[in-house]
Amino acid sequence: MTYITNGFTLKSWLLTKDHKRIALMYLIAVSVFFLLGGLYAAAIRLELLTPQSDLLESGSYNKVFTQHGVIMVFFFLIPAIPAVLGNFFLPIMIGAKDLALPRINLLSWYIYMIGGSLTLYALMQGGVDTGWTFYTPYSTTFSNGYVMAVGLGVFINGFSSILTGLNFIVTVHTMRAPGMTWFRLPLFVWANYATALVMILGTPVVAITILLLALERVGHIGIFDPSIGGDPILYQHLFWFYSHPAVYIMILPSMGVISELISNFSRKKIFGYEFIAFSSIAIAVFGFLVWGHHMFVSGQSMYAGMVFSFLTMVVAVPSAIKMFNWTATLYKGSVSYDTPMLYALGFMGLFLIGGLTGLFLGSMGLNVHLTDTYFIVAHFHYVMVGGTVMGYLGGIHYWWSKMTGKLYSEFWGKISAMLVFVGFNLTFFPQFILGYQGMPRRYAAYPEELQVLNIFSSAGASVLGLGLTLPVMYLTHSLIWGKKAPANPWMLPGLEWRIPSPPPTENFESTPVVTWEAYEFGEENGLDLDEARKRDLATV
Amino acid sequence: MAEHHDIEHTEAHKEHIGLPGYFAVFGVLVVGTILTYFVATIDLDSILFPGANTLVALLIAFTKMTCVILFFMHVYWQSKMIWLSAVAGFFWMAIMFAYTMQDYLTRVTGTFNP
Amino acid sequence: MSTHDHYHPPGLQHQFEDMKQQEESVSIGMWAFLVQEIMFFGGLFTAYLVFRSRYPMAFAAGSNHLDAFWGGLNTLVLIVSSLTMALTVYYAQKGNRNMQVILIIATMFFGAVFLGVKAIEYSDKFNHGLVPVAGLNHKSKAEEPAAKEEGKTAAGEKHEPNPRGEFQWTGENYEASVKIITEAHEKKYLTKYEEVGYYSNGELDQNKVRDKVRIFYWIYFVMTGLHALHMIVGLGLMTWLLIMAWRGTYSADYYSPVEISGLYWHFVDIVWIFLFPLLYLLGRHFMHGGGH
Repeated sequence: MTYITNGFTLKSWLLTKDHKRIALMYLIAVSVFFLLGGLYAAAIRLELLTPQSDLLESGSYNKVFTQHGVIMVFFFLIPAIPAVLGNFFLPIMIGAKDLALPRINLLSWYIYMIGGSLTLYALMQGGVDTGWTFYTPYSTTFSNGYVMAVGLGVFINGFSSILTGLNFIVTVHTMRAPGMTWFRLPLFVWANYATALVMILGTPVVAITILLLALERVGHIGIFDPSIGGDPILYQHLFWFYSHPAVYIMILPSMGVISELISNFSRKKIFGYEFIAFSSIAIAVFGFLVWGHHMFVSGQSMYAGMVFSFLTMVVAVPSAIKMFNWTATLYKGSVSYDTPMLYALGFMGLFLIGGLTGLFLGSMGLNVHLTDTYFIVAHFHYVMVGGTVMGYLGGIHYWWSKMTGKLYSEFWGKISAMLVFVGFNLTFFPQFILGYQGMPRRYAAYPEELQVLNIFSSAGASVLGLGLTLPVMYLTHSLIWGKKAPANPWMLPGLEWRIPSPPPTENFESTPVVTWEAYEFGEENGLDLDEARKRDLATV
Repeated sequence: MAEHHDIEHTEAHKEHIGLPGYFAVFGVLVVGTILTYFVATIDLDSILFPGANTLVALLIAFTKMTCVILFFMHVYWQSKMIWLSAVAGFFWMAIMFAYTMQDYLTRVTGTFNP
Repeated sequence: MSTHDHYHPPGLQHQFEDMKQQEESVSIGMWAFLVQEIMFFGGLFTAYLVFRSRYPMAFAAGSNHLDAFWGGLNTLVLIVSSLTMALTVYYAQKGNRNMQVILIIATMFFGAVFLGVKAIEYSDKFNHGLVPVAGLNHKSKAEEPAAKEEGKTAAGEKHEPNPRGEFQWTGENYEASVKIITEAHEKKYLTKYEEVGYYSNGELDQNKVRDKVRIFYWIYFVMTGLHALHMIVGLGLMTWLLIMAWRGTYSADYYSPVEISGLYWHFVDIVWIFLFPLLYLLGRHFMHGGGH
């Protein structure tokens, strides 16, 4: 009996403590939010097709980009990989029956749903126009949108994130199977562990910040109001103390997925395992020291700006370590170009651009020119979409057969991976140029001479949209008509490939004893490399 | 099961500091509270240096906290992981303080409240 | 399917191999939660740090109106409750049901006393118009002109008229803060920021001083309020613990719920150990020491 056939009632899903079922519930919820955020993005690109603000007037445009940001950041990017893929595979990859605290895992899903519903309610009532950052004093004093309701939604949602992180930390510490030492953990587990640290240490700060914002909005005490002795920049400090590390909550798990994909689809032990593992931890730690680079032009002191600018350069080092190690893993590997690998290679290209432009922006002098322009928008979309979404889609394709027991269409998979890559670049690369030419973000209208590049961008968005719609269709199709997946379709050594697809409720018949290193390809693991090569050749 | 468990936690381990120990820690905490109350009424800022009152109050508070964490919360007998998480919480709070204050303490005057 | 061929003790959840793994998990989980709590309060302490470093004199003045006696008493009450909590764990380890029940009740009693004292303090602030949110203070009518001059209500107690329940920093309170601030000003202790924060055109500006003191009171209410909220959650936890202890659930082999609830309770105590000197004892030496 698999975990899917273990009960068919609604109750058996809604009250389940099985991490795999909770992961699927998260998958559905997160997908709905992604779709919604995508619709808002479509509205933005449609509006920017013409220089005039004609489709949306400025007020509605403010609301549309705010809601795009809030939904995508808090309800898609942050939970996507940890709560779906991490929830499903972290216990399996370390040889555990479940997460250490299954009830808290279910609770985190409900908290997510409550926070999400509250936010959706606020959006239906009229939404917010503050930008996803809720900067004061606009959000506390002037905005007449539903700041309180959305803020409360984000506040509640934060605890879902905290509980997931807490669960991961405990699980990795106490639930590893015999023989599964720290340095035998798959890198996806390391990445999720580092993410969990950030979730625990950062998320409570944004919770308290939003609480302060709400109290300020109710009471008008003036803590963020400079005219009566408060300081709006304090809000920014507290907000970015979480929200910069939150970027690493989004990107770290994705990097974990990519480490899995690069090594497994090169059929080669990953190069520099320890370096990749520790660079995840380093990113998690250094990520807390750089938040001020969001505030170079906010009025923080020049000295603080210099320190934050310098530290921003430092945080690039562990990211670069990962890139170099992945590249070295590819070298002389037996690379196959299955759909997940296409996403992984796409990630490497896009994240490289996203990361390097991050260095441009982290340099204080250049930042003054580029801040609040489309250059920023392009940069963080290269990291968030080019990084997180590519990793997420790669992971979903990679583990789809294990999660559902069905094989998706490899042909359509490859088509969609290419469309996403091409569409993405067409959407966001012109925005670098637009930003450099001075087009500010968050405006519904722009000078006419910038229209050509904006049309490119909007056209690219429709290609990207098509590329993202295809997986919904062929993955859903595979659920019903897909071929039944074998336990190990790609002949890989990880623990998750040694159990049936889909896995039984208890994951393992008996607790596994791990005697091999991570990513160890070889016949002693019952993996016939030649067999796998033949299979790859047959699919080319 | 139980035997296996008890081998790992010897009887001395499980008792931690025992009843006299708990009351001793309690005594330290009470003394600390009374001390901090009366030290606050002495103008150490003038006698020693500005901020001395706050420093003394915080030193006493830290001592009290350390007593509670080590003995009431049994961290003294715990694994390294627990030590680490206890320290990490305060370390990260210190990061937040330090990097926020490095801005506030180096601001140009006048921007805050013109 | 999993086969539980080994002995399965009661209280062991299905995902764990043995009790030791389960105990370790809940213990690490609780500590991770406490780290989260530290950061949660950390945001408030940062706000405190920023504004106290900006307006130390206004903070001292505001703090002087808080009653350090009640604050100190509450500190002692919490310390006693921490002791009883620690002893609860001690007797849970011994499997002594009666002592557990007695000590949990004692812990809850002291927790309730703490909240009662807090209520007394809060109502004092309410009556004196020191709640920083407009409309949440005691609303006193503006009296007849004669009575207004004396600043006295019918009850003979000093009350400023406060028809809309706004934050009040007047009368004795204001005079005391004027004393502190002017003295610091004469000694050139005030930073540039502070000076412009209190003075308009070289004169002490009552409205400006009030705004800064209000920030102190705002921080006081949010910090102690959030702390009190944690106390209430703790009392809920204790109620559950009491029921379980009453049923004799805990023994030398299974007492981790008592232990982790204790961790939470001690953490809340630690927060108060810091709140007490940072909020109540700021400006006391201006009132008592140094011959001022």
